[in-house]
Amino acid sequence: MTMPERSLPLDGIRVVDLSRVFAMPYCGAYLADLGAEVIKVDTHHNQFVDTTRTLNGPYPDNDPGELYWERGGTFQTLNHGKISVTLDLRSDDALEVLRELVSISDVVLENFTPRVMRRFGLDYPNLKSVRPDLIMVSNTGYGHSGPWTNFGAMATALEPTHGTGAFMGYLDVDADGRTSSGTVPNKIANSYTDFLASWTAQLAVLVSLIHRTKTGQGMWIDLAMYQVGASFLGEGILDYAFNGRRARRLGNRHESMSPHGCYPCQGNDQWAVVAVRDDSDWRAFCDAIGTTNLATDPRFADPVTRHDNQDALDEIISGWTSSRTKYEVMTILQNAGVPAGPVLDGRDMLGDPHFRDRGYFEPVDHHPKTGLGRREYLTRGWRMSGSDVRIRRPAPMLGEDNRHILSDLLGIADARIADLEAAEAIGQTLAGARIPASVPLDRQVELGWTVDYDTVYPSQPPE
Amino acid sequence: MVGVPFGLPLDGVRALELGGYVSAPYCGRLLADYGADVIKIEPPGAGDEARRMGPFAGDDPHPEKSIPFLYLNTNKRGVTLDVETVAGGGLLDRLLESADVLVENYPPDARPPCLEPENLAERYPHLIVTSITPFGQTGPYRDFAATDIVTTAISGLMYHSGDSDQEPLRNTLNQSFYVAGINAAVSTSAALFQRMFTGQGQTIDVSTVECLASHLVQALPYYNYMGAIKGRRPVRGSGFEELMPARDGYVIPSVQGSQPWSTVAELIGVPELQDERFASGSGRIEFGEEIHDLLLQGLAQWDRKALHQASGERRLVFGMAQDAGDLHECPHLHEREFFRTVSHPVAGEADYPGMGPRLSGVDYQVRRHAPLLGQHNAEIYGDELGCSSAELAQLRALGAI
Repeated sequence: MTMPERSLPLDGIRVVDLSRVFAMPYCGAYLADLGAEVIKVDTHHNQFVDTTRTLNGPYPDNDPGELYWERGGTFQTLNHGKISVTLDLRSDDALEVLRELVSISDVVLENFTPRVMRRFGLDYPNLKSVRPDLIMVSNTGYGHSGPWTNFGAMATALEPTHGTGAFMGYLDVDADGRTSSGTVPNKIANSYTDFLASWTAQLAVLVSLIHRTKTGQGMWIDLAMYQVGASFLGEGILDYAFNGRRARRLGNRHESMSPHGCYPCQGNDQWAVVAVRDDSDWRAFCDAIGTTNLATDPRFADPVTRHDNQDALDEIISGWTSSRTKYEVMTILQNAGVPAGPVLDGRDMLGDPHFRDRGYFEPVDHHPKTGLGRREYLTRGWRMSGSDVRIRRPAPMLGEDNRHILSDLLGIADARIADLEAAEAIGQTLAGARIPASVPLDRQVELGWTVDYDTVYPSQPPE
Repeated sequence: MVGVPFGLPLDGVRALELGGYVSAPYCGRLLADYGADVIKIEPPGAGDEARRMGPFAGDDPHPEKSIPFLYLNTNKRGVTLDVETVAGGGLLDRLLESADVLVENYPPDARPPCLEPENLAERYPHLIVTSITPFGQTGPYRDFAATDIVTTAISGLMYHSGDSDQEPLRNTLNQSFYVAGINAAVSTSAALFQRMFTGQGQTIDVSTVECLASHLVQALPYYNYMGAIKGRRPVRGSGFEELMPARDGYVIPSVQGSQPWSTVAELIGVPELQDERFASGSGRIEFGEEIHDLLLQGLAQWDRKALHQASGERRLVFGMAQDAGDLHECPHLHEREFFRTVSHPVAGEADYPGMGPRLSGVDYQVRRHAPLLGQHNAEIYGDELGCSSAELAQLRALGAI
């Protein structure tokens, strides 16, 4: 079947990505996978560069190298599929170029504080006068209104602020080893809120494009990560409104299922989870693990007694799991129809047969100058039958597309480009750069930053 | 509606939602919040599985009082339909004729034949069929049994959650299925936009574990860039960027936010922290334990909310652990009109958390409370599909609705 015109959802859509760090850059990468031309507005001045270019790593073989700002694995993951122009926004002429770029674009993504955007004249009312049907996402910690509007934020500190710690925490254990609901909050980590914001921004941009096509109207999206994070915890927050319950910290246990937990397996920091939903799962579980008399033990006869005797139950299950690998636990229990699975780490995931079979990782060929070669990246949780959504190119090198964007797209004369270069408003080499110190991996293990490492590991995708 | 002359972005889009629990309903709720006419189809009798999921309003386990159900299903209409009966299948066909989207989350091995994406694509080429499952429609784990803890574990997210000297820790509140739900809404909206130009529908395969795995932008390159396994947060260290005890709860002190160390040290209020040795990242690693003790001393003098306020005023980015009550009382969320009062005929009235983002062209309203089981049967089957009351009685007698 031949594909009708517009073989990708966002063919012909241009996105100006002014954003930094995690949430919005990642949104831009997804829009690129969907077919948009996404222009990352970079700067070659070290103090203003996207910090994922300089602070995050990880670097190939833990070696930042001369061109370290092109070599960070997290930066590459968050910015694939884009092209790059460097514009130093302190220069009026560069700001004028940016406005010209917005005038031929459909979407702007940004995550500066409200104050900064107004100072540069890049707030929505100003940019709308340049592009009347503009769709713009302004992503901030707390949004463009309300008493906390000028507060800065990072996802790692926002996460408990919007409530996750009320619904996450280890159980308290008393002197006799008895457990009770947890009183200490914990974290999902991994900048959880950044990703909630990224998904939310993608959805808002797509429905705004639908809206614009029908009505000709643009849209300004005031995306407060604090509020977005809270919206994902709605059922817990609503529980307070109905029942006055403020928090529920159950460790790895569950209100109605038991056993329900995370159990140690063979090896260093290896774990598997098990969730027994009902009596039928329980009978299957007892058969599968073959521990004598478990099925007839009156302490575990029904959901209520199992719930009351979880400390004893968890000890028995840990005894069974600890002499098996986490994948063995998965296989034995899943063959019996019981929900169970290994707790996968990064190494496991890259080798896992299911993620492999579904083509979850996509290979990307990098520019020879970066020394990255061909590497694989995680992709997205969905496949569309009618759209060839995939990573089309690596993250751009700093200012890699200056010529194309300034000259071909904007028709800026060579003399003006030369002026911009002379004024250091554009450039392709990071100015004021210092190669970051790399912490040796054995020291990282000591500090607890990494659990373990392999000196020999597959950096290239399997053939 | 004031200021919104053009209606909502998804006005005119009709979506059918089949299955239940969390992922498909959350996708449906997001589409409905943006204006789609979402018809929730539940099995007659028992209804959506989420109706039996606690907690319940007033802790009364009643099928109209499940709090997750009430939250996940606002702005929708609801009908009952047994799609596996002949009469029910006929009604589903009539609903599909006017639908743009079908969102479903049946397990692949339990999906009724009439909902096979391939069959639907052939009969309704304009239709977008979005299927959400724990592991996707292909691959060796496709038919594995899963609950939220299993998808969180296999996604890789759980390994990084919790403390490094204890087991990995899950979040409650079904987070993996919320993340799958919004990813389903993203891909469905992309397909709707594409269809405006091509007229073609398509099928979408959403895998919950892959949606969550997409959060691992650090852990995966850690391994295929340098062979390292990134784990949970270290238990040693200075205490910055971690939850630490304050006088009335927990806070997250942070050195981020581009302010000098002296500003951070001054806010915490322990003079010994004003030490050049602590001013750099490497110094805070080297002298982590010393800083940790001073930080504990300083934070013990602060209440959470006062510290958060003082941090914001100094352009620092400290966080604090808030619970559901704190969020309900939060003046910032109130000024941003996050909470909306919803009145439900069985569960009663409560302030519901609303939409995450605010859009200039979207006047977010809770237009409808979560539907009662079969609440819109007469409206949709009778008024809109034209079934007579005799037909409806017969469908009821056959157990189809």
